[in-house]
Amino acid sequence: MELLVCVKQVPDDSVTVVLENNAPKLDGITPVVNAFDTYALEMAARFKEEHGGEVTVLTVGGEETVPSLRSCLAVGANHAARLDETAACDSLGMAHLLAKAAGKAGKFDVIFCGVESTDGAYGIVGAQLAETLGLPLVTNVLGLEPVEGGVSVKQETEEGYRIVETPCPCVVTTVKPGYEPRYPSIKSKMAARKMPIAGLTAADVGAEASAYGPDAAKVRQTALSAPPKRQSGVKIQEKEAAVAVSRAIKMLAGQKLV
Amino acid sequence: MAFLINPEDQDLLQTVREFCEKEVKEQCKEFDVSGEWPADIYEQAAEMGLNALEVPEEYGGPGLERVTVAALMEEMAKADAGFVTTITASNLALKAVLIGGNEEQKQRCCDLLIEGKHGAFCLTEPMAGSDASNSKTTAVREGDEYVLNGRKCFITNGGVASFYVVTAMTDKSQGVKGMSAFVVDAGTPGLSTGNHENKMGIRTSNTCDVVFEDCRIPASARMGAEGEGYKIAMQTLDMSRTWVGCGAVGIAQRCIDEAVSYGKQRITFGKPILKNQALQFKIADMEIRTETARQMVAHALKLMDEGKPYSKESAIAKCYAGDVAVQNALEAIQILGGYGYSREYPVEKLLRDAKIFQIYEGTNEIQRMVIAKNVIGKF
Repeated sequence: MELLVCVKQVPDDSVTVVLENNAPKLDGITPVVNAFDTYALEMAARFKEEHGGEVTVLTVGGEETVPSLRSCLAVGANHAARLDETAACDSLGMAHLLAKAAGKAGKFDVIFCGVESTDGAYGIVGAQLAETLGLPLVTNVLGLEPVEGGVSVKQETEEGYRIVETPCPCVVTTVKPGYEPRYPSIKSKMAARKMPIAGLTAADVGAEASAYGPDAAKVRQTALSAPPKRQSGVKIQEKEAAVAVSRAIKMLAGQKLV
Repeated sequence: MAFLINPEDQDLLQTVREFCEKEVKEQCKEFDVSGEWPADIYEQAAEMGLNALEVPEEYGGPGLERVTVAALMEEMAKADAGFVTTITASNLALKAVLIGGNEEQKQRCCDLLIEGKHGAFCLTEPMAGSDASNSKTTAVREGDEYVLNGRKCFITNGGVASFYVVTAMTDKSQGVKGMSAFVVDAGTPGLSTGNHENKMGIRTSNTCDVVFEDCRIPASARMGAEGEGYKIAMQTLDMSRTWVGCGAVGIAQRCIDEAVSYGKQRITFGKPILKNQALQFKIADMEIRTETARQMVAHALKLMDEGKPYSKESAIAKCYAGDVAVQNALEAIQILGGYGYSREYPVEKLLRDAKIFQIYEGTNEIQRMVIAKNVIGKF
């Protein structure tokens, strides 16, 4: 099967990001491949190794995203493509660009997306990509196996998981499976340096200017704020245990917690 | 400051650093206590190709610049010195083969490291440590074979290697000129290994006796001509010393990292202890020593790259970096105070790990003899 993995370059999510002038301060934070996309790639690579086929990774972004694509090439991707577009997009605009680029990059049986990115975390690009392409979608995927005419997919649920089947081509959004992405080897890293990366432009792929970019955005971010700092707790310092308990109960009752 | 490596290789450094941070550093604490050889970690490292960093490109290796390998080795040493010791010991054995072996031997040993296997360099004996010429192990020619008898000790990777580079006397009457070197496959009848040494530090590396009892090997296992073993061994050590220095630099750097991290957080008298100039000066001295040692390693590697003599510089790099690792570990313990002495914190391990760097692959006294001989010459 031919597999496509859509990847996004994000700031290293192990680093705490602070806000400066209503924008995240990203100076000095290493760009990495979105963690959920690395799970998607590992899932695709394992699928390929077991059942055959090839894996292509696709990203939308400027020249600065090339190292992330090379990282993907070092851990199982056979091909890489970059749509050279840096216009600010909402997720629907991004889905449009990905859909057009996917159409240009090849014919794919399964398109993988991480369930969400660790920066914006809207979690809807995969669904919008499926909608844009008119393909079936399975979300929260833990693994998949080929079946006649499609794939059998293990989908995470609140209670556990269920198995669903879908015809191909399809889109799946992946959560963290029960394994970690592989480390690249020294030689695969070095080999990835020499592998070609297909360069695409919005014009090449036939993207419609009215469908992406800041003016086309249906959703606009109006403000950004850091999570509120945890309130310091209340210390009850009564000498008598009974009085202390009574005060605690009153406080809980006041908060409608008991 | 770090090794100045080719910008293209920075991604390798980042990969190895991430691997060491996530898979080696914390995990090795447990193995430091148990003394068990962490096979799973070494398997992962092998899959990444870390065993084969020094395999030349023409034999299927990555063909990395020496200074890049040094930067990667430093990362491994920062995470765990026993871990880097295992890797460098395999490459020590490989160096001997690359120096003295024939094409077939070179390719076979390179292939083994590429496959993720390990090598061991068997020179030291109970009565032949610094005085390697006092070897008692013998290799007696019988037709197309040699018969090895003797005991090697303190052999890193002794119990886990797939190939052994072994020195043995083929003609005792000739002294060091009667020593020859051989490549022996693991599993050869007559080759056995002793108990894993219960060491003070580098406890995640395997160290044991390697014993030869009527161990028959084909004559084709000999490297070079009869009598060239001592020369091959000394040339190997000349080169490998720099890499030992590199490991020591990693420990010295980890000492700084731990001391700075702790010193910024530990509050005494209402302020972090690193606000005190007395401790700032300790950090400065640790940095001066570490950076100097690192650049000495880089200089020795540069001489190797350029095909110039490096024996003295390699000995300086090993000797100085080994001393620096121990000094920095002592200072890191002092900065952490009581916590530095506790096994709950990482720095006491750094001292236990650092000490061997003044001892193995030529004690620092032997290094000073090498340096002095180079400076003074014959007179």
